[in-house]
Amino acid sequence: MIQLDNLSENLVEDRRDAGIWRNILNKLRRGEMPPEGAPHPGSEERDHAVAVLQSAVERALEERRSTDGRTVLRRLNRTEYQNTMTDLLGYEMDYARDIPPEALSRDGFRNNASSLRMTAVQLEYFLEAARKGLDRVIVAGPPPIVSFRFNFTESNLNRWLLREEQIAKNVVGRMDAFLGHMNPAYPEEGEFVVKVTAAAELKPGKGSPIMQVSVGYRPDTEILFRTAGTVELTSEELQTFEFRGYMENFPQPVRGQIKFSGLVVRVTNVYDDGTPRPKLQSRKKEKGQRRRKQFYPEEPDYPKVRVERVTLDGPVYDAWPPEHHRRILFDSELRETDPRAYVREVLARFLTRAQRRPPEPEEVTRYVEFFESQEANFPVFEERMRETLAMVLISPEFLCLMEPKSEERRPLDAWELASRLSCFLWSTMPDEELLALAETGKLLDPEILGSHVDRMIRDERASRFVDEFFGSWIYLEAMDKVAVDPYYYPGFNENLKTQIHDETRHFLLELLRDDLSTTNLIDSDFLMLNETMARHYGIEGVSGSAFRRVALDPASPRGGLLTQTSLLMGNSTGEDSHPIKRAVWVRKRLLDDPPPPPPANVPELDSESPEFAGLSVREQLRQHRQQASCAVCHVDIDPWGVAFEHFDAIGQWRDDIRRLRARPPVKPVGPERKKEEEVFPLEFDLLPVDAQETLPDGTEIGGVDDLRDYLLGPRREDFARTTVVKLLAYSLGRSLEFTDQPEVDRLTAGFLENDLKLRTLVREVVKSDLFLTK
Amino acid sequence: MKSHRLNRRTVLRGAGVALGLPFLDCMVGAQSKQAAPRRFCALYFPYGVSLPDKDSEHPEWRWFPEGGERDFRFTKTLEVLEPLRHDITILQGLSHPQCRDMGAHDTADTFLTGSKLAGKFLKNTVSVDQVLAASIGHNTRHPSLVLSTDGGVGEPTRASTLSFNENGHPIPSLHSPRTVFERLFGASDDLQTEGRRLHSSASMLDRIVGHSKELRRDLGAQDKVKLDEYLEAVRQIEQRVERSQAWLETPRPELTDEDRELLHLNSDDEAPKELMRTMYDLIYLAFRTDSTRVATYQIGSMGDFSSKAGKFPQLLGFAGTLHNLAHDWTEPGGVVNLGKWDRYMAGEFGAFLERLRSTPEGDGNLLDNTLIFYGSSNSQTHNNSNYPLILGGGRGMGMQPGRYLQFGAETPLSNLFTTVLDRLEVPTEGFSDSTGEMSELYG
Repeated sequence: MIQLDNLSENLVEDRRDAGIWRNILNKLRRGEMPPEGAPHPGSEERDHAVAVLQSAVERALEERRSTDGRTVLRRLNRTEYQNTMTDLLGYEMDYARDIPPEALSRDGFRNNASSLRMTAVQLEYFLEAARKGLDRVIVAGPPPIVSFRFNFTESNLNRWLLREEQIAKNVVGRMDAFLGHMNPAYPEEGEFVVKVTAAAELKPGKGSPIMQVSVGYRPDTEILFRTAGTVELTSEELQTFEFRGYMENFPQPVRGQIKFSGLVVRVTNVYDDGTPRPKLQSRKKEKGQRRRKQFYPEEPDYPKVRVERVTLDGPVYDAWPPEHHRRILFDSELRETDPRAYVREVLARFLTRAQRRPPEPEEVTRYVEFFESQEANFPVFEERMRETLAMVLISPEFLCLMEPKSEERRPLDAWELASRLSCFLWSTMPDEELLALAETGKLLDPEILGSHVDRMIRDERASRFVDEFFGSWIYLEAMDKVAVDPYYYPGFNENLKTQIHDETRHFLLELLRDDLSTTNLIDSDFLMLNETMARHYGIEGVSGSAFRRVALDPASPRGGLLTQTSLLMGNSTGEDSHPIKRAVWVRKRLLDDPPPPPPANVPELDSESPEFAGLSVREQLRQHRQQASCAVCHVDIDPWGVAFEHFDAIGQWRDDIRRLRARPPVKPVGPERKKEEEVFPLEFDLLPVDAQETLPDGTEIGGVDDLRDYLLGPRREDFARTTVVKLLAYSLGRSLEFTDQPEVDRLTAGFLENDLKLRTLVREVVKSDLFLTK
Repeated sequence: MKSHRLNRRTVLRGAGVALGLPFLDCMVGAQSKQAAPRRFCALYFPYGVSLPDKDSEHPEWRWFPEGGERDFRFTKTLEVLEPLRHDITILQGLSHPQCRDMGAHDTADTFLTGSKLAGKFLKNTVSVDQVLAASIGHNTRHPSLVLSTDGGVGEPTRASTLSFNENGHPIPSLHSPRTVFERLFGASDDLQTEGRRLHSSASMLDRIVGHSKELRRDLGAQDKVKLDEYLEAVRQIEQRVERSQAWLETPRPELTDEDRELLHLNSDDEAPKELMRTMYDLIYLAFRTDSTRVATYQIGSMGDFSSKAGKFPQLLGFAGTLHNLAHDWTEPGGVVNLGKWDRYMAGEFGAFLERLRSTPEGDGNLLDNTLIFYGSSNSQTHNNSNYPLILGGGRGMGMQPGRYLQFGAETPLSNLFTTVLDRLEVPTEGFSDSTGEMSELYG
């Protein structure tokens, strides 16, 4: 119960009360307050109250957060840093390995300029990463003398894992491997190439095998591998596939390790037909054997990878010094004829790309001076150059998007625009085309700008936009935080988790690339599916690991993001649905109207009572709402989530809710372990599903279909506005403010008129004043 | 009245004489705020110990003592520690809950971290000694000393180091006594490289600060605030670089001839007795000269084929390799064979404690101001609970040694680490899966 006269009037300082006022405002606006049956003010009175409250709330919010409607100096976040370093240096490495992930801003993104901090620890890591990367990119010395070539036509390693009498084979099912053992000498540095000649052994009624090639070793009880590549084999004709990598990025054993020395190149078959994996079986102990030999039974009907040959060559280089070195220390006579001028030119070129604009002569001089000052310290030219370039890579001009002369608002110049644009759509530095357009200034032309937006969206790098923008907006990472209970869902495995994530990614990519309406997030007549996900949803006729558009039956309850497993799972308990989480997701993510957090003194439910505990969560919530203090918020929370009750914790349709009667006891550790395990019977009680609820304004929501209709009907404008606000916040790297309202209104109106087409909105955002202004 | 209290560094710099004097008595004054330094040392041996049942044939070779908290009686294994009885606490029943269902030989990695190795790449978390080093390491030339018999880092699940940094990456260990000696008391080669990079960093940062001041003028008010954050970060790194450079220029501590004669700097894994004693001595000297206050020594790793320590027992006349002794305890006489080795190891450990105890410091001795944690991450081999553990020293830090404490499975070993962090004055809310401090250690 809230006493209005006790609420503070200082909405800037008193945040909690400001939040309550905001909530009151929303209820007034929607006609939910006063409640039915209580005396109502006249509509004039009500409108006046709303107006006064509205402006007070907004003014306060603005004042607190204001950056005056401008993006402050913004540093590259972790993802942007990793991509930029990779593109700038032309060398793949985990540069961001030690850099801690950023916290989410108020808007839910990781690129908010105000929120991004720079600490000494981070700066030290940036310096360390720069030095480490440059040590690899700039070589100092002759090419490696020794190079290795390994050629395997059959596995040369057995007894790979202790208990299994596992003979590594040429015909690889899901429990086998082809192993090429390289011992005692193998390449430890530089680029390597693995070529695998293989074919599929296809089986009727099953999909194609998926070949995965990895490199690693075995410390002892565990194995440590990193994947070099994965490819689906659809043909029974032999083909050769090539994979590349750098040895430094792969796990390598310690020299002198005797037990399982050497490095291994491994081919496995990661196709999953959804059936439970075979269990280890034991042979009878023979005389003199200490332990029984164990093995995995054959699976003759399982699609296989037939390996004919595996070769590994390394280190390989097309030229010496390698391409990444020569791109920076380019070939030139100047190096002999005028070393000082050469150094100057090298630095000028590097600075142009690193700072994302050409440097002033004084800037280059600064670095040349540093270079020369280090001569005694680093007599070797390449070492000295590494240090100098490292200095570039910790300068603010590299680490931040510099938009100086920022006392007043002004339009961005072409270079600044190129950087903002490439961060927005690709989370990296501008590519050569963008830099060229920046140089001529043509990027400022709206036509050209629009056409490049299209080019960038079609490019493969736009997947980063999907991951960073959408991933954060819809909070896709929630699914990684849920531990799916193996007793409830025994078929669930890590592979499925990856596919679930990929389904949503491909759906969002399709939305973007095909210029579809954003309403598809709420309801679509198709899904992006592959064999595994189709099977998960009980849809037939899809085979192969590639995701493709699959039309949905009009009667299907599925469609849009709402019923995709990633979301349903992320908003679950791992055992059961979580209607509150799902409700909050809908209100927060789709309508930008999150419910207020629960009060500090949230009353205890009578969870001790076995009757209560035996109810479905939905029934528990309903009882919960019988308390007035809970009902006041929950009448507007529960219905949004209850609509999803027909979907369990892994997104599958259910007509009943399962509840495990008793959990098996925890397995003991130590000598006890060796005893045979008893089989514990898993028994489930069934509770009825009830997905019916009523919103405070009287709308009946009988399930997901009704929810969709409501969102796309009466709440269509709110949804459109939310999309615009989120896209703007992400593109600008800041929170929106009062002064942005007119643009938000304009873009929302246009968005609605254009049937909420996403790509069109992206283009409009890029061409808007907000994006083009500092 | 002029105070006779000396500031250690002033004396040393001014006189240009031997550095790293032990904490002198005259530095303790009534008004002195300089308390004795507090130290931590972790020692590890693999594969556990001999633990026959009490009603079996050879209960006298059971590692844990008999009896109660204060009236406990050592068995044959630990009776060599009787003279140190009042300076050690034997701990029974402890382990890291998260590591209990790991592969038994994978747990050396997690002895000081308490985490289960996670994910495809078997990722670890920070070890308690590195949390200490991050907090108190700036007081000494070396924030920590990381030693082992095998050297380097080993491999995930077969680590040859006890120490892991804040990102869970292993810290390379030193295995050669000569190298350790050079690092502590000599002029090592590494210093050259270290010095060069530091010089370059210092110059870089200085130039960046200078340039940024110009850059700043061109920015709007809000951007200035952001750039200032960056500059603040730069300044902090500059300070660290300066400090490191200062240490490089400071002369190293000198040792007495007596000290030097006892060290067998050329010993290697073929001479285990000399090697272990020398490593112990080097830790002792590092503590005595305040070259570091945090040390770890992995006496053997769990790589049964590749750990150099594997052959130590055989070289010393015991009945098998480390791994075989541990596994063969079920064979006839196995318990005795393993027990004798356990006793030998305890004896070497005792000699180390005795050296610390017989060196005065302030009102007490070195051992009083040091916490020594000794043990293994298996009880019997292949069993990840009930680690054999001894906590030595710490009387000067409020500890109450001289007892035999028994715990149940609900007490995480990390509670002990929380107490260690607290005793060494590191502000902490806990370590790994700790549920609080191990108050039993205070008596």
